[in-house]
Amino acid sequence: MYRIGIDVGGTFTDLVAIDGEGQVTLGKTPSTPADQSIGVMNGLTQVAESLGLQLAELLARTERIVHGTTVATNALLERKGAKVGLLTTAGHRDVLEMREGLKPERYNLRLPRPEALVPRHLCLGVEERIKADGDIAMPLDEASLAKAIGRLKREKVTSVAVCYLHAYRDDRHEKMTRAALAAALPDVHVCLSSEVLPQIKEYERVSTTVVNAYVAPILAGYLSRLEQALKTAGYDGPVLIILSHGGIAPIAEAIRMAAGTVLSGPAGGVSGARHAAGLVGIDDLIPFDMGGTSSDISLIVDGQATLASDRQIANSRIALPSLDIVTLGAGGGSIARVGAGGLLEVGPQSAGAIPGPACYGNGGTEPTVTDASMVLGYLDPENFLGGRARLDLGAAEAALERLGTSLGITGVRAAEGVHRVVNTQMAEGVRLATVRRGVDPRRFALLAFGGAAGLHGTEMARQLNLGRVVVPRIASVLSAWGMLATELRLEVTRTHIGDTSALDIAAINKLYEEMEAEGQQRLRSWFDGAIHAVRSADMRYGEQIFEIDVPLDQIDFAAPDLLARIKAAFEHRHEALYTYSLADQDPVLVNARVATVGALPALPEEPLAATGAPTPAIGQRRIYLGEWLDAPVYDFDTLTVGQTVPGPALVVSETTNVLLRNGDLATTTPHGWLDITVPI
Amino acid sequence: MPDVDPITASVIQHRLVAIAEEMGEAMLRTSYSQILNSSRDFSTAICGHDSRLVAQAEHIPVHVGALPWGVKAVIDFFGDDVHPGDVFLLNDPYHGGSHLPDLTAFVPVFANGKLLFWTVNRAHHSDIGGATPGAYNASAKEIWQEGLRVPPIRLYAGGELRQDLMQMLTVNVRHPRDFQGDLAAQIGSVRLGERRLETLLEEFSADVVAAAVEIILDAAEKQARQVIATWKDGIYQGVALLDDDGRGNQDIAIRAKVSKQGDGLEVDLSASDDEVTSFVNSSHANMQSAVAMALAFLFDPETPKNDGSLRPVKVVAREGSVVWAKPGAPVTLSTSHCAQEIIEAIIRALAPACPDRAMAGWGRRFRIAIKGEDPRNGKQFIWHMFHARPGAGASPGGDGWHGSGEWHSTGGLKFGSIEVAESRFPLYFRRHEYRPNSGGDGKYVGGAGVDLELQVETETACHGNTAGDGARHGSAGILGGQDGAPHRYLMRAPGRRPKVLSTKEEGITVPAGTIFEVHSAGGGGWGPPQEREQAARDYDRKNGYVTKRAKTGG
Repeated sequence: MYRIGIDVGGTFTDLVAIDGEGQVTLGKTPSTPADQSIGVMNGLTQVAESLGLQLAELLARTERIVHGTTVATNALLERKGAKVGLLTTAGHRDVLEMREGLKPERYNLRLPRPEALVPRHLCLGVEERIKADGDIAMPLDEASLAKAIGRLKREKVTSVAVCYLHAYRDDRHEKMTRAALAAALPDVHVCLSSEVLPQIKEYERVSTTVVNAYVAPILAGYLSRLEQALKTAGYDGPVLIILSHGGIAPIAEAIRMAAGTVLSGPAGGVSGARHAAGLVGIDDLIPFDMGGTSSDISLIVDGQATLASDRQIANSRIALPSLDIVTLGAGGGSIARVGAGGLLEVGPQSAGAIPGPACYGNGGTEPTVTDASMVLGYLDPENFLGGRARLDLGAAEAALERLGTSLGITGVRAAEGVHRVVNTQMAEGVRLATVRRGVDPRRFALLAFGGAAGLHGTEMARQLNLGRVVVPRIASVLSAWGMLATELRLEVTRTHIGDTSALDIAAINKLYEEMEAEGQQRLRSWFDGAIHAVRSADMRYGEQIFEIDVPLDQIDFAAPDLLARIKAAFEHRHEALYTYSLADQDPVLVNARVATVGALPALPEEPLAATGAPTPAIGQRRIYLGEWLDAPVYDFDTLTVGQTVPGPALVVSETTNVLLRNGDLATTTPHGWLDITVPI
Repeated sequence: MPDVDPITASVIQHRLVAIAEEMGEAMLRTSYSQILNSSRDFSTAICGHDSRLVAQAEHIPVHVGALPWGVKAVIDFFGDDVHPGDVFLLNDPYHGGSHLPDLTAFVPVFANGKLLFWTVNRAHHSDIGGATPGAYNASAKEIWQEGLRVPPIRLYAGGELRQDLMQMLTVNVRHPRDFQGDLAAQIGSVRLGERRLETLLEEFSADVVAAAVEIILDAAEKQARQVIATWKDGIYQGVALLDDDGRGNQDIAIRAKVSKQGDGLEVDLSASDDEVTSFVNSSHANMQSAVAMALAFLFDPETPKNDGSLRPVKVVAREGSVVWAKPGAPVTLSTSHCAQEIIEAIIRALAPACPDRAMAGWGRRFRIAIKGEDPRNGKQFIWHMFHARPGAGASPGGDGWHGSGEWHSTGGLKFGSIEVAESRFPLYFRRHEYRPNSGGDGKYVGGAGVDLELQVETETACHGNTAGDGARHGSAGILGGQDGAPHRYLMRAPGRRPKVLSTKEEGITVPAGTIFEVHSAGGGGWGPPQEREQAARDYDRKNGYVTKRAKTGG
C-alpha cells in the first residue's frame, strides 16, 4: 500500500509516494492557484504514470493521503476570504482594528493604514458582560443580540466570529449567541472565541477567531472539492491535513480550526526536518528552507520542533500553537541593487516566478541571487531541473555586469558580493531566530533544503560559527516527504491563572483530566490507534509579560508537592532560555495545555545508498571562489555510503545543487545524504 | 586605514545593526517592568569610541539622537580611565541623560587594548525615587524633587560589581526588585553586544571594521543629503504651543527656524520661550533627540539612524530656554513634552519645503497613574494608563492610523489586554472604542482617538496623578488640514459633579467607585478638507469614524 504526501506550493505541487518497502516516487507539477485540487489530481496522475499504474489503480492501493495546503494562507494574503461579521461585548467593538495600539515600521509615518479583516460597520456590540472573576455583570440582552443579527443578515455576511470579554472563563453567552445565529442565519459559518482559542488576552482571541471565520468557508470549499475529486477517481481512504503546529488532522477538524492551517505548507518541511534529525542522529538542527522569494527558518531542539504560541501573518495575529517558523525576505529570486548610499543591497524585492531571474530568459533584466550563482559557475546552464530547463548565462552576466559598473567593480566581483551579502543576511536571520528562542546557534547543525539552500549552507554555517551542514538527497521535496512522517495532534488550552504556590492541587488535577478527556474524545472520533497526552503550561514571573512554554509531562501529578515540582519545571526552563531564575519569586501559571497525540505507523525505513568504492566525479566545472578554479562535479544520487568529497566541489542532482567550498568536507550518510563538516 | 570594498562594508553594516537588534531582543525578553517588556521604552545602540552613533535598533524613536551625548558624558568624566570589564551608568539630564527615569548603561569594547566601540542601553525605569511614585512629579520645581540623580559612574570595575554603589542606587528607589531586575537586563544586553562586537572585530580585524564604519556613516550622510537636496531651498518658521506649564502659564511656545540650502539644514530653536518652573523643560540631549526624530520622520524610513545621516543638520539652541534648561530645572516630562512640540514645530516649518513628506501632528501624551489598595488581596497597586491611545497624524501616504499613539512612540507603545488588566487590578473597563469625529479633517483625515470609560473598583479611596499635554491644543493639522480634537478627561466620583482633569495634576483623591471618562485626542489632518474624496467621507460615515455632518467637503 502507498502513502502519499502532497505539498502545494506557490509555483509547484510536490508529491511523494512511499510504498511498503520504503521505495520513494516523486512527482512535481505546476500548481493551479485558482483551484489547487486540479494540480493535485495532475500530480497524482503523474505519480501513477511513473509507477506504470492507472490513477484509479494507484488510489485503490493508497492507504493514506497527507496534504499541506496554502488555500487558507492565500485567502489571507490576497484578502479573498469570507465576508465576516464580528460580534463583541458592547463598548469593545474596535478590539480587532486597535491591534493593542501597535503600528509596524517605527520610522515610516507615511505607511498607509491597513483595512482590518472586518470593516467597522460589521463589528457590532452586543449588551452582555462577564467579569474577570466570572461574575455576570450583565446577562446577554436578547433584544440587542437580535438587532445585531438583523444587521448581519441585511449585510449578507457569510461567516460570523463571536468574541466576548472573558469568554475563556464562561462560554455561555457565546453559546447562546451561536444558537440565535443558527436559527436566524442557518447557512452562515459561525466561530466562537471560546472554542477557537479559550484563553485570556482579547486581542489575540478576537484576531484568531476572525481569521478562522475568514478562511474557514474558503478552506471548506476547497477541501470538499478535493475530497469529491479523489472519491470520483477511486479513493476512499482518509485525507489528512497538516496543521501549522506540525500535527495532522482530518478534513472536518482542519476546517473547524481553519486558522490553524495557515502554516500548513512550511509545516511539512519542519516535520521532514524532525524526521531527518532522527534519521541522521542529530538532535539539534536548524532547518533552513531557501525558496525563490523567501527562506523559512525553524528549530529542532532535542529532536523536537519548537512551537510558538503566536504568529503574525499578513498583518493578522494568530495565537494558535504553531511551529516557530521565521520567514526572511531573501531567496534565489531576490534582486540585488545599489542602495541610495552606494552600498550593495539584496532583496526584499524579488523577481518572483515571472519574470524571474534574468537567466530564466522570461524578460527579467535585474540581477538576482540565482543570476549571481550562474555567473560564479555554481549552476549549470545546460542542466537545470535535470535538463528540463535551460538557463541563459549571457543574460545573467549582463545583469551582473551592470550591477558591477554601478559599484565600480567587475561583474564577477559583483556576483561574489551578492552572495556575500545575501549569505550574511540569511546568517543574521538565523542568528536572530535562534537567539529569540534563547538558543545559541553554534551547537546546532544546519539542515539545508529547498531548491537553493545547498549553494549557501556552508558559507552561512561558517558565519554562524557552526561546524556541520546536512543536505538531504530529496532536499527539494522534503516538505511533501515530511508530511508522511508526522502524527495526529489535537491541542486543548484553558486559561487558569494563579501564583504557583496558591494553586489548588485538586483543581489542577481535575482541569488537566478534563482537558485530556476532551482531547481523547475528539481524537477518538476519527482515530482508533494508540493515543497519548502531553501536558504543559504557559508560565511567567508575575512582572513579565512573555509566558514560556513549560513541559509538564515528566511530572507526577499525584505527588503531594506537585506545586513545587511545577515551579521547579518552570525555573529549569527559564534558566535554559534566559540563563537565570529567581528562587525567591513565585511564577504564575497562565494557560494549561494538553496535546493529544495519535501515533501513526512509522514510515518505512528509507532504502540505503549503494556501498562500495567511491564514485568518481562526473566532470568538472570552472567556478569562482575568490579566484577561478576547476572544481570536480559529483552526481548526488550515485555517491556511495561513507564516500567523502572535499571542497571545492559541486554535488548535483536533478533538483539540488550543493556547493562545497575550500575546507568543507562532505561525507555520504547511509541514506545517501551529505553530512558536511565546515572548518570554523 | 585599509581599503575596504563596498561589499565588505555592507556585510559589516548588517552585522552591526543585527548586534544592536539582538541587544534589544534580549532586553525585551528579560526585563520586568511593563514599561519595558510591553511598552518597549528602551533603546539599544552601538557608538564609536568617540561617541558617534554607529547603529541603533528600532524600538521607540524617542532616544534616536540622544545616546551619543551619554557616551560623551562618560568620556568627559572618565577620560582614558576606561578598561575592559567596566560598566558605566548614568541618568542625569545635565550629564548626558534625557530624564531621570531613563538609566543608561555603557560597556566599552576593546581590540588589542584599544577602545573601539561602546555598547549602549537606555531604559525607562518604573520608579527612580523622588517625591512621587513613578517619576512624573507635576509639582517639582527643581530636579532634586524628581528623583535620584546619577552622573556618570563606574558600576562594574574590571568585571567586578561595586556593591556599595549598587546598594546606594537600590535604597533610593521604591521598587528595588523591579529596579534590579531591569538593570540586570540592561547590563546583560550591553555585555551581549560587547561579546558580539568582539567576534566581529576578530573576524575582520579592527582596522577593517573601523574603515567600514567610516564608509557606512558616509553612505548614510549621502543618503540623507540626497533626500534634503530634493526639498525647496528657503528659510522656514514653525511654532508649536504647549497647553501650559502646570503653573498657570499658558501657551509655552517652541519656535523652529529652519534654513534649508542645497543638501544641508540648520535648525534654530533659540527663539523658543524661556525655561519654566515645571517638568516640561527639556534637557540638552533630549532636545537633540527630538530634532533627530523630526528629521528621521522626514527622511526615508530606511535611511540608517546613525551619525552620518545627522551630519547634514546643524542644531542651534539657547541654554535657558524651555528646549534646553539650565542645570537644576526639572525635566521629567520632556521626553514626551516638550520633545513632541519640538518635532511638531520643525515639521510644520518644513511642510512647505517637502509637502510630499511632511505629516500632520500625532496625539500628545496624557497619562493617568492610579495608586490604591486592591480589595481582592489587600495589596497596594499602581497602574499606569497606556489605553486610549491618541490618533496618528495624516500624511501624504493617507489617513492617520486610529489610536496609534504619539510622536515619540509612533505606534510602538502597546496598551495590553483589558482582560489581563481587569484580572490584575481592581479596574472595570466599561468602554474602549474609537472616539468619533476626533480626527482632524483634511484631504487625508487624522486618526481617531479613543473613548475609555474606566471604573475603579476599590473599597477605599485611591490617589491619582496626571502628566501630559494636549487638553487645549489638538494635534496640528498641516498644509490646510485641521487640528485633531484635543484630549478631554473627566473624573466622575459617586455623588459628585464631574471634574475635568488637567494635564499636570498631582495628589488627586479618587473615591472608590470613581469612573474615569477619557476621550483621547485625534490626529491632525493633512491637506485641504475640500480635496477629500467623497468615497472616503462615505466610508468614514458608514463605519462610524465620523457621525456628524462634515463642516466642509465635497
